[in-house]
Amino acid sequence: MIPLKYNLRNLRARWVTTLMTVVGTGLVVWATVLTFGLTDGLEHALRISGEPLDVVVLRKGANDETSSSVSEALAREISSLDGIAIDANGKPMCSAEYVTILTKPRRGNGGTTNLIVRGLEPIGREVRPDFKIVQGRDLTPGVNELITSQRMAERFENLAIGEKLDLNRVEFTVVGYFEAAGSSAESEVWGDIRDITGARREQGSVSSLTLRATDAESMESLIKKIRDDDQFKLQPVKEMKYFENQMSASIAIKFIGYVIGAFLTFGAMFAAANTMYAAVASRSREIGALRAIGFSRFSILVSFLQESVILCLLGGALGCLATLPFNGLSTGTANWATFSEITFAFRFGPTVLLRGVLMALAMGLLGGLFPAIRATRMRIIDALRAN
Amino acid sequence: MKLLTYIWRNVTRNKLRSLLTILSIGFSLALMTVLYGYMVMQDAWALEASRHHRIVVMNIQGFSGRVPIAYVDRVRKIDGIVAAIPYSWFGGNYKDEQMPFAQFGTDAAQAFDVMSEFSIVPEQLAAWREDRQGCVVDRRLAAKRNWKIGERIPLKGTFYPVELDLVLRGTYDTPQNTDSLWFHLDYMDEKLKQLSSEAQGNAGTIFAKTTDGDVMARVAADIDSRFSSSDNPTRTQSEAAFAKMFSDMLGNIQAYIRNIGLAVVFSLSLVAANAMAMSMRERITEVAVLKAIGFSRGRVMTMVLGEACAIAAFGGLLGIGMGCVFLELIHRVSSQFFPLSITEMAGFWLVYMALVAMGIGFVSGIVPATRAASLSVVDGLRRVV
Repeated sequence: MIPLKYNLRNLRARWVTTLMTVVGTGLVVWATVLTFGLTDGLEHALRISGEPLDVVVLRKGANDETSSSVSEALAREISSLDGIAIDANGKPMCSAEYVTILTKPRRGNGGTTNLIVRGLEPIGREVRPDFKIVQGRDLTPGVNELITSQRMAERFENLAIGEKLDLNRVEFTVVGYFEAAGSSAESEVWGDIRDITGARREQGSVSSLTLRATDAESMESLIKKIRDDDQFKLQPVKEMKYFENQMSASIAIKFIGYVIGAFLTFGAMFAAANTMYAAVASRSREIGALRAIGFSRFSILVSFLQESVILCLLGGALGCLATLPFNGLSTGTANWATFSEITFAFRFGPTVLLRGVLMALAMGLLGGLFPAIRATRMRIIDALRAN
Repeated sequence: MKLLTYIWRNVTRNKLRSLLTILSIGFSLALMTVLYGYMVMQDAWALEASRHHRIVVMNIQGFSGRVPIAYVDRVRKIDGIVAAIPYSWFGGNYKDEQMPFAQFGTDAAQAFDVMSEFSIVPEQLAAWREDRQGCVVDRRLAAKRNWKIGERIPLKGTFYPVELDLVLRGTYDTPQNTDSLWFHLDYMDEKLKQLSSEAQGNAGTIFAKTTDGDVMARVAADIDSRFSSSDNPTRTQSEAAFAKMFSDMLGNIQAYIRNIGLAVVFSLSLVAANAMAMSMRERITEVAVLKAIGFSRGRVMTMVLGEACAIAAFGGLLGIGMGCVFLELIHRVSSQFFPLSITEMAGFWLVYMALVAMGIGFVSGIVPATRAASLSVVDGLRRVV
């Protein structure tokens, strides 16, 4: 086999061409990885929102919380069912919640978009992943206070601590920021359920219930009981499944990602092929010499493929590295399922980066294949004679 | 003319390299065409929305707020209003499909006065008005689903706790595919009343046509001040602003797409420049000979730049062509999200794309061209490649 060093030296000797190809493929990988990082962040936010033992109860026929409504009496009845976990204070972990959507302006003239305002009781915090107040304090029920996440405060007008949000001409004051493990709760504004329904003049309304089962078995029986009771007219959905269904929001972006990836991979592949053809053409004498001293056609093929792959992987690595500054950067888009803004952070997990590297690998292999074949087809005499 | 021949010969000299460069530029430009086409479509959509002098009334709190049906009659009496209709988004499921097309509850009496660019045969309109359970759909939607007049269309509410049992009474023609269905809002409201649902009596939004564009702002302010002290204050805006709300919802994804486009152009220029530089490196002796026999610097420069631009232009044409085909395919597959076909949205922006291609050619050729032009004859001739 021809040593790897030969390829590396060659790449260095023609450093301008190498650099241009590396930067070219790098940018292509960067653009694609960035898009996948976007969908991965969005899907991660939704995935982490679903707790394995949680069940969301909606009105039969409703697709999500924003279009659901459950009567207060029914909500009480559900919370006393067997199989619901009990928290440290001896209360059943069943949270009756009221969800409404407000159309509010983004900061910095970013247009208006829809904002989810959720009214809940203290128990609602326990069915969210790792809920904690990170700045300010939790709200006091009854005095029209709100809490939200830092990300939302940065994205929307009137949501920073101390600022006032208008809800049907009732003023609410933001008093704290919370975190919930990056779940979709962090895209919401929370208030006390009675305060919110009061302002909305829908006292006593409940949109949905979120409850935690004691174990997988009781979850199944709870779901069966709620679903099959004709008096309830309710539809229990596993929380994991509920958020999975909302991932349709990411389908559009994912589609864009694949389109970008596919077009650009082809584009970059041809560019890599071009570089490699030039490499083969300008090194025919070397190839001839290598063959003359006994290297087989196969090792020539492998060597050139190797060089092409190294070239593209360098670009791929560069592209992946260039996405690092975006890691954790928060952004937001429309969640079409709830018709409102969902904020999330770019996320470049191993699968996303792997996809970028595979893309570079494909460029290198496919782009290098034909030039490498050309190199093996040369007759030793002709190759040595070439100038 | 001779210069052109010379450029052409050079382009076709290393056919493989030129072809690869053309393909590489082509694919990336196809991507740009698709991305820009998408944005152009959204702009065209907004422009279309501003042509008909319509205003949209919604609750000041947004979509989840109420606009009482009684407001429709009060809006109709306002000076400057030609016609007004409730336009309530139903969002029902059809059979097992989740919201496969748009459904709106409206008022048959004035629907076609407000949406004046839509047209329907008078007999079908009359048939729809007479049938309480009747509905009309976009002709293209009916054709796609193979629905005939009299077809029963059951819709299961997701937002509203009712099921509608609709009968197709007619189809309407629209400038662009709207993938929409209209039914009588009264029919749905009756069902809600039977359930004594809190959702009853809600018009969702009101669409109103004004006499002309100049009165729109005044009429909008008029409407809002009339309802400002009621339980349900309103926010009235032009249809274009209303449409913009939806694209705003996507957030900075658009800026992001634009930046990706820029990155792609930049990487393309590198790729093309690289190919051009490779070609020139192989031809240094040749350029020196040309200069030795009296070719001026300007001429040499034009030759090299011309070659780069020619290659980029071919790539550009290929790319724009591929991009257009792709846009048309998306339109055929999903006209609800992509309502314009390529012939409807073709315009100056395609020329802009071609200019981008030429720009790439120019940028990629400029370094090799200046190098060739300033090459010293003696050095060039002496050089062994």
